Amino acid sequence: MASYDSDYSGSNDRQYTNGEITVFWKPNKCIHATTCYKELIEVFNPRKRPWVNMNGASTEEIIRVVNLCPTEALTFKYNKNLSEQPVRQILPETENEVRVMRDGPLVIKGNFKVYGPDGTEYKRMKMVSICRCGASLQMPFCDGTHRKIGFTGK
Amino acid sequence: MNDEQTFEIHIIENGPTHIKGKFSFKDSAGNLSAEHNELFFCRCGRSKNKPFCDGSHKNQWQTPE
Ligand code: FES
Repeated sequence: MASYDSDYSGSNDRQYTNGEITVFWKPNKCIHATTCYKELIEVFNPRKRPWVNMNGASTEEIIRVVNLCPTEALTFKYNKNLSEQPVRQILPETENEVRVMRDGPLVIKGNFKVYGPDGTEYKRMKMVSICRCGASLQMPFCDGTHRKIGFTGK
Repeated sequence: MNDEQTFEIHIIENGPTHIKGKFSFKDSAGNLSAEHNELFFCRCGRSKNKPFCDGSHKNQWQTPE
């Protein structure tokens, strides 16, 4: 199936499919790490239009490279699950770590899931700061309020 | 998902952050401790045993709106 290039909701976001998976491209999330085209120029070629050629490699190879993107700029979904959240696996090398910041939040890295008090899962992230001071207005996440209230971790 | 890969953060209503799974833990001095399975971290700021929960939130703290 041919890839298509569509603009929706007035943004510059694009999506491309090979019939099996759809790759989502959010240019405003791109930090220009160049990982995608260094890994797979056959699919991700910024000099071509459309710049993503879904017929340039196997689905598995495309998924592997989408998952290397350090931001949410590239994500994918299986077409059979198009109504679900885009899939973005965290690199297996990411160490699972919980770190306490002095007089600040808990910083969590790795391949984790965060669930709210009612059991719903928050958006997948690869790093998150959880408030420890009790005063964030973005609970459960740290919003910097700990500094304002002079929180100490002692 | 097998147990090996579980790493979950559960936010408990008006209570601590419950973390379970396989993860390493670094305290604020940067000391790394071995792989943990389960820890409860204070979220209200009142624990006498920070960063861990000691139950001080009970009837004393509500998540700010
Ligand atoms: S720890 Fe940062 S806002 Fe509470």
